[in-house]
Amino acid sequence: MSQYLVKEGVKNLHKPGEKLITTHCAYCGMQCGMHIRVNEKTGKVVGVEPRYDWPTTNGKMCPKGVTAYQTIEHKDRILRPLIKKNGQFVESSWDEALDLIAYNFKKLQSEYGKDALSVFGGVSMTNEKCYLVGKYARVALGTRYLDYNGRFCMSSAAGGFNQTLGMDRGSTVPWPELEHTDCFFISGSNTAECHPTSIQWLWRAKDKGAKLIVADPRETPTARIADVHLDLRSGTDSALANGIMHILVKEGYVDEEYVAARCNNYEELKANVEYFTPEYVSKITGIKEEKIIKAAHIYGASPRSVVMFARGVEQQSKGVDNVALYTSMALLRGQIGKFASGVATFTGQGNGQGGREHGQKSDLLPGYRKLTDPEAVKYISSVWGIDPKEMPKPGVSAYEMFDEIHKGNIRSMHVICSNPAVSAPNTEYVWSAFKKLDFMVVSDFFLSETCEFADVVLPATSWAEDEGTTTNLEGRVIRIRKVVEPIGESKPDWEIMRDIARKMGKGKHFEYENPSQIFEELRVASKGGKADYYGITWERIDKEDGVFWPCPSEDHPGTPTMFREKFATPDGKANLAVVDWKAPGEYPTEDYPHILTTGRVVFHYLSGNQTRRVDFLMEQCPVPYAEMHPELASQYNLRNGDKVQLTTRRSHMTLDVRLTKAIRKDTVFVPYHWGKELAVNQLTNPCLDPQSRMPEFKVCAVKLNKA
Amino acid sequence: MNKIMYLEFERCIGCRSCQAACRECGDHEYKERNYVEYVDFMESRQTYPMLCMQCKDPACARVCPANAIQITEEGVVLSAMEEKCIGCRNCTFGCPFGIPKFDFEQNKMYKCDMCYDRSKHDIAPMCASVCPSDAIRFIDFDEMQALRRRRTQMNLVEGKKPQEGNKWQYVPEFFGVYSD
Repeated sequence: MSQYLVKEGVKNLHKPGEKLITTHCAYCGMQCGMHIRVNEKTGKVVGVEPRYDWPTTNGKMCPKGVTAYQTIEHKDRILRPLIKKNGQFVESSWDEALDLIAYNFKKLQSEYGKDALSVFGGVSMTNEKCYLVGKYARVALGTRYLDYNGRFCMSSAAGGFNQTLGMDRGSTVPWPELEHTDCFFISGSNTAECHPTSIQWLWRAKDKGAKLIVADPRETPTARIADVHLDLRSGTDSALANGIMHILVKEGYVDEEYVAARCNNYEELKANVEYFTPEYVSKITGIKEEKIIKAAHIYGASPRSVVMFARGVEQQSKGVDNVALYTSMALLRGQIGKFASGVATFTGQGNGQGGREHGQKSDLLPGYRKLTDPEAVKYISSVWGIDPKEMPKPGVSAYEMFDEIHKGNIRSMHVICSNPAVSAPNTEYVWSAFKKLDFMVVSDFFLSETCEFADVVLPATSWAEDEGTTTNLEGRVIRIRKVVEPIGESKPDWEIMRDIARKMGKGKHFEYENPSQIFEELRVASKGGKADYYGITWERIDKEDGVFWPCPSEDHPGTPTMFREKFATPDGKANLAVVDWKAPGEYPTEDYPHILTTGRVVFHYLSGNQTRRVDFLMEQCPVPYAEMHPELASQYNLRNGDKVQLTTRRSHMTLDVRLTKAIRKDTVFVPYHWGKELAVNQLTNPCLDPQSRMPEFKVCAVKLNKA
Repeated sequence: MNKIMYLEFERCIGCRSCQAACRECGDHEYKERNYVEYVDFMESRQTYPMLCMQCKDPACARVCPANAIQITEEGVVLSAMEEKCIGCRNCTFGCPFGIPKFDFEQNKMYKCDMCYDRSKHDIAPMCASVCPSDAIRFIDFDEMQALRRRRTQMNLVEGKKPQEGNKWQYVPEFFGVYSD
């Protein structure tokens, strides 16, 4: 099959001596389509060419996407396995590294029991690899301690959707339909910077007169173009959503017929939102009353609307509540399951959607099956060829794994495709946990901050050196192609897991020669589950521009729009959220009088391990900064470019001041993509959501000092 | 070439994809020829992209004492010809938009050429291809005219709504640049 896919009539610049290989970006959930340019003679990657005919992104790319190819043959790539000897990393052979891992894993398990090991996964890799991480932890290592970095990303959205809609698919509507939407209610998402290529759909709708409402403490490039910018105080989303619903109910904007036929709890919701008057909500959120009223009227009167949100509402100790409430807003308007309307979360990581469906989470099995469901355990055990009794019980969430390390229950960790030394909250606690481990393995393709704590670092391949599938933020399963052979001695993660499994004596469960065999197994494993991939094949993905799950059989067309007939709850009805407002884990006090919120910039991706190595991106944004309002700054005699010390109850750090009026006067914003002394996560609050176990990255109390 | 570059400053989200992509164009030697600036970061995150207007009677070419800046038959103003450029930098001072840049190592100027190797085949230049918010577009002349009419219609129907985020009502809403 051709490596270069293009529709008739679409022109790409095809330079002589070069071939184009069609794939998708390595970074966020948009998974922008692109062709990678490869020199036919040398086989080297030389550049990128837009994929104009990819329906979700139309050839658009953000600066990370344009420069993504530069990470493939980057000089910092780890080329051989590294073993730490006397505090220094020494290159070694694969055999030596794998033997050392197997020896230590076996030793620790014989001394402390099976659960002495743990696996910390990630979802910036293909479905095949994500699926295998779950199997690797549970079958090859036999440990219950397995979780992944999606806990810091998507788990609140998953929790909220499961509660209200009964199923967690990031978007109920395919992206190209957004062009026909009349109103967007976007909360806690700076989509212009974090998922830039989706902004084209907002503009297309706006060109036709669509309205945009954005709730964000900062006037981000997204909020800048909003018809109403709700400049709420961080951590008050549940009050805002309840307040909007109060007006929807009072002003008769509720789609009574839809709600009666398809939703539960309407009476309870009405009673709950009754006292969320604009006045009360304004007091909590700090938004002007008339803005709340205006936003509610615009949203309520729009025939087709989409409620969208992202980490801003999810990375809070009430993330699940926030998601459930915003989803209920869409339900009250009768929007879910219809054309160009619904509810959507912007998936952060490349495969944040697919990676969380196939058993990398401490309590889930492939196909979004629950580990606590004996039937699911029985089915997956039969697919994996193990005795259901051998299936480990649910473990703990990502951040709680560090608690277990401190308690001495987890003695060893294998970190795959993740950099928790930067991305976890309260990082000093996490760093000391890593130091406490008896043995630590990291698979990565650059030496990340987490790698530095490891005893063995295994060189994984980048996204362009292996093939497979990912699932983008729409729920569309798409194809990643191999562009070049693995660099140096690096190996794809699935090979690494297979090889360790062999050394652990579990090789017979991991007989794979290529990723397509894993995908075939994944199809069977997900069959009948909520995230059903059984009908999806690689050939169909190429032919149909990706296939939307659930897709239970090969003649099933896939499901671009979710919940047309009924919801995935046991009774087929959506559960409206009846949740009161609760304050965040920390709020400003006399000692710590301001709010610190963290987020992203357009030039960097997550923990920055890849993007901090790309010249263009570092030229644009080399270091983090503290963004604040000049009115706040003047209280501390701070001018643009001065140094400020931020102190929270966890730690302190010093940053450059960047002044702008495009932020609330009580809020300081710091981007989080840097490690060590530049990591703002030294300061953030590890207060967890009771359901999703998501830490509260977005709100904590902070004190300022001129440094 | 029937297509034109069309800029809508209001749409710019400041991602600088166009700059990154400019470096990727085959003949650009990994140097960008366009730029993106904040209007005033203190006030708002409004940014704007700037690229060569491909003037009909370009100041850069007029002030060039060596006649090194050539204009193609489609009206694209090219970088100075290597063999003719004497490195006087007149063009960098002459251009009102600050487009020509000077490479001190190679002692020659370089500028936006609308990715001539792409645009001569009617393939969009790199900046217009990747711009996530369609602030830079490479479209047919007729499409551009339709877009302008459409916006006027919308303003008539809905009234020209000042938005909360607008700090600069005077930033021109339309800036069509065309070679014909």
